[in-house]
Amino acid sequence: MTNTADVVVIGGGAIGASVAFALARRGASVTLLDASTPGRATSASAGGLWSLGESLGLGCGVILHTAQQGAGDGPAPLPRTLMDFLWASNLRFPSLAAELRTLCGIDIEAEAATGLLYLVYDEEQERHASRIIEWAGSDHGAVEKWTPQHIRDRDPLITHDLRSAIHFPGDNQVNPMLLTEALKRGACAKGARYLAEARVRALRCSNGRIVAVESDKGTIACGAVVNAAGAWGAQIARLAGIEIPIQPVRGQIICTEALRPGTLRSNLSTRDCYILQKAHGEVIIGSTTEYCDFNTEVRYEDMCSLAAGAIRAVPALRNVTLKRAWAGLRPGTPDELPILGAAAELENFFHGTGGFRTGIVAAPLTGEVVAASVLGQTPEFPIEPFLASRFQRIYV
Amino acid sequence: MTPPAIVIIGGGPAGMSAAVAAATQGLSCTIIDEGFALGGQIYRKPTNPERAPAPHPRGEQLRAEVAKLAQQIQVRNGDNVWGIFDKLRVAVTSPDQHTELLQPQALILAPGAHELVPPFPGWTLPGVMTPGAAQILIKTMGVAPGKRVLLAGTGPFLLAVACQLVDAGVHVVAVLEASSRPAWLSLPLHGFRTPEILAEGLAYLSKLDRAHVPVRYGRIVVAAQGETELNAVEHAPVDAEWFPDNNRIETEQVDTLLVGYGFVPRVQLAQMAGCNLELRPDVGGWIPVRDRNLATSIAGIFAAGDGAGVAGSLVAALEGQLAGMAAARFLGAIDEATFAAARDSIEQELARLKPLRRALDKISALQPGLMSLVRDDTIVCRCEEVTWREAREAVCAGSTTYRSLKMTSRAGMGACQGRFCWPFLSRLVAAEAKCSLADIGPPSARPPLGPITLGALAPEPRDK
Ligand SMILES: Cc1cc2nc3c(=O)[nH]c(=O)nc-3n(C[C@H](O)[C@H](O)[C@H](O)COP(=O)(O)OP(=O)(O)OC[C@H]3O[C@@H](n4cnc5c(N)ncnc54)[C@H](O)[C@@H]3O)c2cc1C
Ligand SMILES: Cc1cc2nc3c(=O)[nH]c(=O)nc-3n(C[C@H](O)[C@H](O)[C@H](O)COP(=O)(O)OP(=O)(O)OC[C@H]3O[C@@H](n4cnc5c(N)ncnc54)[C@H](O)[C@@H]3O)c2cc1C
Repeated sequence: MTNTADVVVIGGGAIGASVAFALARRGASVTLLDASTPGRATSASAGGLWSLGESLGLGCGVILHTAQQGAGDGPAPLPRTLMDFLWASNLRFPSLAAELRTLCGIDIEAEAATGLLYLVYDEEQERHASRIIEWAGSDHGAVEKWTPQHIRDRDPLITHDLRSAIHFPGDNQVNPMLLTEALKRGACAKGARYLAEARVRALRCSNGRIVAVESDKGTIACGAVVNAAGAWGAQIARLAGIEIPIQPVRGQIICTEALRPGTLRSNLSTRDCYILQKAHGEVIIGSTTEYCDFNTEVRYEDMCSLAAGAIRAVPALRNVTLKRAWAGLRPGTPDELPILGAAAELENFFHGTGGFRTGIVAAPLTGEVVAASVLGQTPEFPIEPFLASRFQRIYV
Repeated sequence: MTPPAIVIIGGGPAGMSAAVAAATQGLSCTIIDEGFALGGQIYRKPTNPERAPAPHPRGEQLRAEVAKLAQQIQVRNGDNVWGIFDKLRVAVTSPDQHTELLQPQALILAPGAHELVPPFPGWTLPGVMTPGAAQILIKTMGVAPGKRVLLAGTGPFLLAVACQLVDAGVHVVAVLEASSRPAWLSLPLHGFRTPEILAEGLAYLSKLDRAHVPVRYGRIVVAAQGETELNAVEHAPVDAEWFPDNNRIETEQVDTLLVGYGFVPRVQLAQMAGCNLELRPDVGGWIPVRDRNLATSIAGIFAAGDGAGVAGSLVAALEGQLAGMAAARFLGAIDEATFAAARDSIEQELARLKPLRRALDKISALQPGLMSLVRDDTIVCRCEEVTWREAREAVCAGSTTYRSLKMTSRAGMGACQGRFCWPFLSRLVAAEAKCSLADIGPPSARPPLGPITLGALAPEPRDK
């Protein structure tokens, strides 16, 4: 086992795996280090690819907004740059799925044509809905308002007690665990090395560079380091004497027993929860957005409110058996944008974190742009808005 | 209604004794047990008393003591505890899906154990079941599990069930005990302080002898055969590490095979409550860490009985008593001197039972040969029908923890959350990945532990 690598990627979630895959595909020698930490976001996540929906404040955003401010007006959209970034990333899924299938035989269950439906229950929401359609603009596919009849024709189990829905045809879903596993194996197929249970303990610096990474599986001399440790990204940065404002943001989520696949055709977003049926048949109902440090407990009250929200949207779920509840920690940032690219303080340290609520849909493009910056190439999407230097809070 | 001071989860010997001890000190207790009556596994009450054998006198006595304290002890049978949330909040759902959150001042976990069944070729065929499942058929309904029955595994529980089958008129073809005869013959050396238990064991053996049921030591079942259901069993002699000699396989025509290799503590509630666990393979695997007073690492939560380390019904009842007293002490219902005196006498009795128990644990300790039966196409996770080939490939690709194996192979992803497959799967993974069971860790426990519907969490609004 050689203990040197061009690049060491720290963190084996969707982002780290995607960065490792993109680097390996470009011919770099890569070592990917991961540790199993309770609350890792990728394995907790729902796998919604809601590039438009989430950017426009739906999915998790509207649930948080309702929890904080009650029903009524909806949340404002996220910055346009993020929408464009997520849109571009989402477009990569079909070809990525094909590539990974050939390379390592894993089907990442990137489902086309599920679409996302935002259910509109009342008048206030209806006003918000008109603004959403305006914000969406016309350059990101045909966002449409659907009538109750149209909704029923497509997904008869959705409640009839609603006014309309907004349909986002390009917002589909993937299996986040299989995506990550396939990216990892794909990276290995291209020559990368993957070490599980290799918790990083220290970064050795010399002359403004990181020269080696110390982990539970040994010390690796390296040319560059990528921080893809998700919600633990601030801890990794601190090992290099750098502060970045990453905060764990808990999301609780519940999951039913497997129902006949196709029971729900669309992904649903409501102001109480979101609902999506995975390829195996389980229905996933998420999720809360909470700042409570690294606590990964599930709360009874939140399970109840997710269940109530799901039953409101799909009454037939009332008699379905609940299989499991869990919580994950999103890597959150103050401005809801990711932190990507070179750290100003050290020559060879790069960030790939801050995926927040959309780290799964962002994973393909994040891998590409971070890999490009590590190798000194021009990223195919401008990443200036995502550089850590935007916070200008440096305590070296 | 005011919440009880103490909630006790499990109405077996441990839970009933705990309730009696605490209620005698004037504390209000609620026992919750998903079974239809108090008793737990060993003192299970018959549903069909005409046909089922008479219930055990010790169980009848405990039930009577609980009944006498009806003022203090509320019994909730049929209800399922599916989660423990922060600050001792216990989520309970009744069969009609009515859900309640109880918040006692102290909690006693006495959930017992479940049986340990290793995967081997054919083990998922109808006709292969656990001795405990067969016992439930006889004990509650007086129904025989089959016509020609073979029992295999290890430990005295096999003999007890074999005798119950004989009493029920079932043809027991043989009992196969994995450990050697000399190992069992050494038992009296350790049991001279507990002659009544040794006598019970001897009584089983002589009953089987009279019924011409051979007990064959040093043999294990290596495969079950049948197209759609069991019709034959292959078994072979084993060495000291239970590796079978495949040149000496015998085949037995039977319609029922009962396989039991001991018990695994049900620790999921302790895990959900955040109690620290430790790995103790000698008493069944992962158990909650407890101090001398049976207090777990979470203040106000105590653990007793097989659910905190498998040790049988006598130990369970004593531990229940101690936990009940300790909870009473914790709540200030008794003073330290009273508590210490009670603890001393309970500890003396526990010490008397210990040598025999230890010797039994040693004789029945799982040996690596048992893990050699699994073939590539053997199912290792029943819920998700994952084969050993699939699981092993995931292990080779680096998935050596429960979480990671679950993600990549779906093993343990099903409704049982790895409770049934993981005791063996973790051993297979440890052998394959050359790591220790402690490194691999217990399966994570997530609510809900038992089946509840979404509706149980979202009561229908009255005015709609
Ligand atoms: C409930 C929930 C639902 C979500 N739903 C969606 C969704 O539908 N769509 C979407 O796009 N996004 C969703 N997200 C967000 C998405 O999951 C995250 O943004 C994304 O998974 C982040 O990936 P990551 O690789 O940065 O982090 P993680 O997946 O957390 O990976 C970080 C890894 O780094 C490891 N690590 C930490 N410290 C160290 C160390 N010292 N050494 C080595 N390794 C270390 C961790 O153990 C972990 O494996 C959801 C999140 C949650 C919690
Ligand atoms: C199937 C089986 C059969 C057994 N038969 C015998 C036998 O014949 N002879 C013998 O000596 N030993 C037998 N044992 C061993 C026996 O379990 C112990 O010796 C003894 O019963 C342990 O007592 P306990 O109080 O710790 O647990 P148990 O007697 O197992 O009682 C625990 C109780 O808790 C309840 N419970 C658990 N979790 C929950 C929950 N989440 N919600 C609600 N209720 C819950 C269970 O339904 C059970 O009634 C058997 C064990 C098993 C698993």
